[in-house]
Amino acid sequence: MAGVSLKSINRRAVLRWLGYGGENADEKVTALMDECEKKVLAAVNGRYTYRIFDIEENSGERVTLKGCSLVLTGKSVCEHLKGCTKAALLCGTAGAETDRLIRMEQASDMASAVIADAMAGCAVEAVCDAAEEDIGRSCEGMFMTWRFSPGYGDLPIELQKQFLEVTNAGRAIGVFANENSLLTPKKSVTAVIGLSAEKIENKRHSCAVCNIKENCTFRQKGIRCYE
Amino acid sequence: MNKKERFFKLLKENEFVFLDGGMGTMLQARGLKAGETPELLNLTHPEQIKEIHRLYIDAGSMIVYANTFGANGYKLAETGKSAEEVISAGVKNALEAADGKALVALDIGPIGQLLEPTGTLKFEEAYDYFKEQVTAGKDADLIVIETMTDLYETKAALLAAKENSELPVICTMTFEENLRTFTGCSVSSMALTLEGLGADAIGVNCSLGPREFAPIIEELSKWTTLPIVAKANAGLPDPVTNTYSITPEQFGEAYAKLVPYGIKLAGGCCGTTPDFIRALKKHLSDKKYQPACPEIPAAVCSAGRTVVIDGPRIIGERINPTGKKLFKEALKRNDIDYILGQAIEQIHAGAEILDVNVGLPEIDEKDMMVRTVKALQGITDLPLQIDSTIPEVLEAALRVYNGKAIVNSVNGEAGSLEKILPIVKKYGAAVVGLTLDENGISKKAEARFAIAEKILKAAVDAGINRRDVYIDCLTLTASAEQESAMETVKALHRVKEELGLKTVLGVSNISFGLPNRELINCNFLQIALANGLDLPIMNPNVASMTGAVRAYRLLANIDKNSVEFIEAYGGEKSAPAAPKQGDTHDLMYAVANGLKAEGAKITAELLETTDSMEIVNNMLIPALDKTGEDFEKGRIFLPQLIMSAGVAQAAFEVIRNHMISKNAAPVVKGKVVLATVKGDIHDIGKNIVKVLLENYGYEVIDLGRDVEYEAVLEAAVKNQVKLVGLSALMTTTLGAMEKTIALLREKYPEVKIVVGGAVLTPEYAEKIGADFYAKDAKETVDIAKRIYG
Repeated sequence: MAGVSLKSINRRAVLRWLGYGGENADEKVTALMDECEKKVLAAVNGRYTYRIFDIEENSGERVTLKGCSLVLTGKSVCEHLKGCTKAALLCGTAGAETDRLIRMEQASDMASAVIADAMAGCAVEAVCDAAEEDIGRSCEGMFMTWRFSPGYGDLPIELQKQFLEVTNAGRAIGVFANENSLLTPKKSVTAVIGLSAEKIENKRHSCAVCNIKENCTFRQKGIRCYE
Repeated sequence: MNKKERFFKLLKENEFVFLDGGMGTMLQARGLKAGETPELLNLTHPEQIKEIHRLYIDAGSMIVYANTFGANGYKLAETGKSAEEVISAGVKNALEAADGKALVALDIGPIGQLLEPTGTLKFEEAYDYFKEQVTAGKDADLIVIETMTDLYETKAALLAAKENSELPVICTMTFEENLRTFTGCSVSSMALTLEGLGADAIGVNCSLGPREFAPIIEELSKWTTLPIVAKANAGLPDPVTNTYSITPEQFGEAYAKLVPYGIKLAGGCCGTTPDFIRALKKHLSDKKYQPACPEIPAAVCSAGRTVVIDGPRIIGERINPTGKKLFKEALKRNDIDYILGQAIEQIHAGAEILDVNVGLPEIDEKDMMVRTVKALQGITDLPLQIDSTIPEVLEAALRVYNGKAIVNSVNGEAGSLEKILPIVKKYGAAVVGLTLDENGISKKAEARFAIAEKILKAAVDAGINRRDVYIDCLTLTASAEQESAMETVKALHRVKEELGLKTVLGVSNISFGLPNRELINCNFLQIALANGLDLPIMNPNVASMTGAVRAYRLLANIDKNSVEFIEAYGGEKSAPAAPKQGDTHDLMYAVANGLKAEGAKITAELLETTDSMEIVNNMLIPALDKTGEDFEKGRIFLPQLIMSAGVAQAAFEVIRNHMISKNAAPVVKGKVVLATVKGDIHDIGKNIVKVLLENYGYEVIDLGRDVEYEAVLEAAVKNQVKLVGLSALMTTTLGAMEKTIALLREKYPEVKIVVGGAVLTPEYAEKIGADFYAKDAKETVDIAKRIYG
């Protein structure tokens, strides 16, 4: 469990989420972003926790982990972890106060709310980046895959509750799932990272495993939601 | 001797009371896998559990926690076992192991789901889960509520414990090094709230080691008179090896350093074993209990903010329909957003506590009050003052309030004292006492002072601490009873000086019926402040009033080094230059450029000469169409679209107020019900749709998020809407969307349904029976236009 203090928010990523593609924001939106960034940075309480397990078996249909009751199911997570000997289960959050800020902004000014929401999303990604670096340090010399989350491909989102149990995320960083497997606080992420002593084929984040790719407004505009 | 007496006897007879250490830690060492349910072992491996209890008792534990931490209906749902079975087995195991040598605690941990507003679990549902646990654990000697990070959940558990058993209750919460829990609860808020609700001991457990506990326990010792509990982890865990960082010796040494902060009950949490308890006992063996006995200040709180009444604090009065047409209309429309708007305006203006009054004869005040309190605490951490004349309304609000509130009010009438004070006591609130009684309001200060004394005595007799009694000496209207203004001040001064109580006063009444009310109000406020007023109930949006309080705080040397004053006014720029001649814009320009204030101003001016429908149809709508088109073409982006919508919203607000003030029906093109479906909390998309629909003149009945199927149907039928909009973000909540649609189809077949949300597709929308799929807010507006024309 560790805290992450953010100094700034990645503006390019925020604009991408707001649908700007490569365009720049005008003066008025930039001013609003400056204001929102201050509020978001004050509200974010970035925390992450992770546990690293040895991979017991990767059958191509399911992955079992040593000493862990969670079984990762589906072809896509098997593909993601192919060649890996360990898996890091990670959970990161921007914290409950961030959720409240967004609720407050929604009640007072929707334009701020939309920007704050996008910024909070970027904040939790930055928290996960820090977690990933930490995992890299604790497994020095190993190669890592990108972050694969429940809900991607055919890895069921219904695993969230159990995922949080095995990472002790409730106690460690205050993240829970509701009955519909939605993470709370809202700006929270769970992900699996594969670790291997051998170099991993350069598998990157892509639209291939995304379940909304057919209907994605980003793709329709020829842009991507990730860098 | 009952169990409560036995618990206190244990505390009395021992310098320190030793608790046990980690249960999960011991079970993991015996092969429990990460993610498995340890409570099931109560049924499958009772001997193993008993052995662990015995090891702790042998090490010196005087209280052991039964293995029931996660045994609640929610967590056990998938195991096929009931909380009743698992808990009674767990308590039985512990009692057998203890065999009279130690007390057994029913251990209650968090449910495993966040409560509203961050999560979807309702306060009332949480209470029911806890009630089931309390009832199942009735054979235990005491109840422990632990590892809580949410004060609201802790309150639900504590209420369930108090209302369903006679057992003593210990509450411990889990803090971070910043002295907050994950949900933002502060140490002072925990102490004020839980002591008020009647916990028997409070403290801290889990998350950190005993060294990191020191500042948290130190802070706690300033805020409670209850015995203090510490149950720390064995340092911090290593994510790779899952081992903890300190040894039993180091653990014991660190605890010895907590003694000066008044710890009375000590044990271990994650990573600790019987060796830690042994070391703990050893290191405390030559120490004496040092109770902190703090002077606790008068204070109220939400979970995240404690407001100490150590000088004048502003209570915002605007959430109150009295004499306000728009507010009354909003209450009748169920428009919680309007109330939130009133709150936000006051917060920005400098309110420190918000008075909440939603009393209107035509509405269900209790229901409205509960919903308002919940909505307010979802967006602000200002403490609330619950204002109603009906005891049931007060109780319902106090029950769902997350923190320590103020009750407004009790008065000197016997009936009022009898009904209100027990509620204040039960929920640990502070109370405003109005100095009137069966004989009405006396003109004389002496009589009002006498009633204040009477109220104080009754409150103390009811078990309420005198620091929680705030007296209101009542402002009368100067135009009608001019001689009484100074009597009020005189009474206030005496209450403050002679009774040493905090004083409260509704200020604005003084000027009723007079011209230049602000001048009178402001002067009266200053006189009252100088005579000892602590809690002015006033309109903080009036700059001179808030300014008077801030200036008083500076002059009275309360605002040290003028920090707050400079923060409020130091950054103030000189007044913006007046717009140059010829620099005026039209409404279309204001909308296109996101100029909210200007848009509202132009609209107000236009209304003097132009018909409101003409403004809407010939200016606002074309301007919005233009921004909508620009958005679709990728010429402008989402924030700009919404800024433009914000201008139109402000313009509509001006038109709406204009119509209501002229008693004309506001412009409504049609009503639309919007909801984010049950189980889903991602509502930002729905809220964007709402803004745009309102822009185009539709009245939106916004049911919010996590909305029950029936609530959607009910609102649709009640308002006879032609269109319902539903949103869902996740695949897991599409099922709820489908069920909502099915219910609407069955009971209200003539309604059209539009759906949207990240994972939806036009095909899927059709499959679940929706009439329309909208890819964004703009498209929803187009659909509404097709339906309503």
